[in-house]
Amino acid sequence: MAEKKIHEDQKYIDGLLQNNSFIIKAIYDKFVPKVVNYIKQNNGDLDKAKDVVQDTLVTIYNQASQKKLQLTCPFDAYFFLLCKRKWLNELKKRTNKQVTINETVLSKDDEAQELALETSVFEEKEALFKEMFQKLGTACRDLLKATFKIKSMEEVAKHIGVSYAYARKKKSLCIGKLTKLVQASSKFNQLK
Amino acid sequence: MEEQDYVVFEAYLSNALSEDNVKEFEDRLASSLEFKTAFNTYKELSSFLEHKYEKEEETKAFQENLEQISKGHFESKYTLKEKKKNKMFALYKYAIAASIVVLIGLFTFNQFSNPVYSNYANYETISLTVRGGQSDLLKTAESAFNSGDYIKAEATFKDLLKLDVNNSELKFYRAITNIELGNYKLSDNILENLQHGNSAFKNDAIWYLALSKLKQKEYNNCLEILKRIPKDARFYEQAQELMSKLD
Repeated sequence: MAEKKIHEDQKYIDGLLQNNSFIIKAIYDKFVPKVVNYIKQNNGDLDKAKDVVQDTLVTIYNQASQKKLQLTCPFDAYFFLLCKRKWLNELKKRTNKQVTINETVLSKDDEAQELALETSVFEEKEALFKEMFQKLGTACRDLLKATFKIKSMEEVAKHIGVSYAYARKKKSLCIGKLTKLVQASSKFNQLK
Repeated sequence: MEEQDYVVFEAYLSNALSEDNVKEFEDRLASSLEFKTAFNTYKELSSFLEHKYEKEEETKAFQENLEQISKGHFESKYTLKEKKKNKMFALYKYAIAASIVVLIGLFTFNQFSNPVYSNYANYETISLTVRGGQSDLLKTAESAFNSGDYIKAEATFKDLLKLDVNNSELKFYRAITNIELGNYKLSDNILENLQHGNSAFKNDAIWYLALSKLKQKEYNNCLEILKRIPKDARFYEQAQELMSKLD
């Protein structure tokens, strides 16, 4: 993976990450109309298209910010595939019956397929992690929140009134609990 | 996994293990798949939580900005066309007809006069306040720029760039600020550097450099610079239009 050449469209990913309004607007001007057309032609409307686009951009932002997303294909192909996938999932949720979409086999761009799949997996994992986090006890949730918000463990310990060593141990046990919850979920095992 | 294993995961991730223990840990990672899988999940969750809480504000700022841009885009691009096809249209009809007459007038007028900077420099309001720490200065720069107080904007950009010498975004807006102020030497200098760099502003810099020349009425220079704008740049079409007027 590391050997692959980074596409010049990486500037869009970097722009999102920097919350650069110029770049975000350029993405809307250049790439969004295609998505809007696609969704409108496939049982959707403007409002749906707007949501799909926004959610997709947030996912890309999160992945870039957390995992150093490196674009190895044109942004257009990658972005369109992600929006399309999201929209198809939405349709599936809405109607139980199979939706038929005029699909042109697979995209010619395998690189884009691969990258889009990676991002989709990332997104599903995020959703799962969030869900499992809510299943932790309040004590663990509060401790983890404090740990990651206040970076120094000494301060965290002071903040919640325990010793430093205990706070540190507790942190690892709480993430441990979360690890167990995640590993035990059937969704997680499908994602791998 | 035992409780102790999670404690070791944490110690390993925060570099708190001794050299021998690191070796032992890595051997275990290599030999036990179960251990490795659990560790990878632990690590992923750790980075998930870190992102969720440490970058909470940045993420929120991004989402708000995105929401605004999205709203602006969909309203200006689609709403007029699609949602207003109702009876109110009759009332608009006359207004639209009238504006078309005015537009045609303006258009023909523009055809015969030299193009001017202000017709092309349609930069949007900017949003700089993303990162936590230096937000006060950034806020000042942002609101000064957006309200057209370029003297104040310049002073603030200058200070900000002292703290963050390589920030292309700040450099870019500082250049625009100085075009507005008529400090062409400074603006053009910054833009020339940006266009040779690798930042996201590379192509935008060429476009604004051309606009700066346009404002200085250096039409030939402007034309030459416009020719350098690549096809996939977002100002390409506007650049072509401007070129046809200058030619």
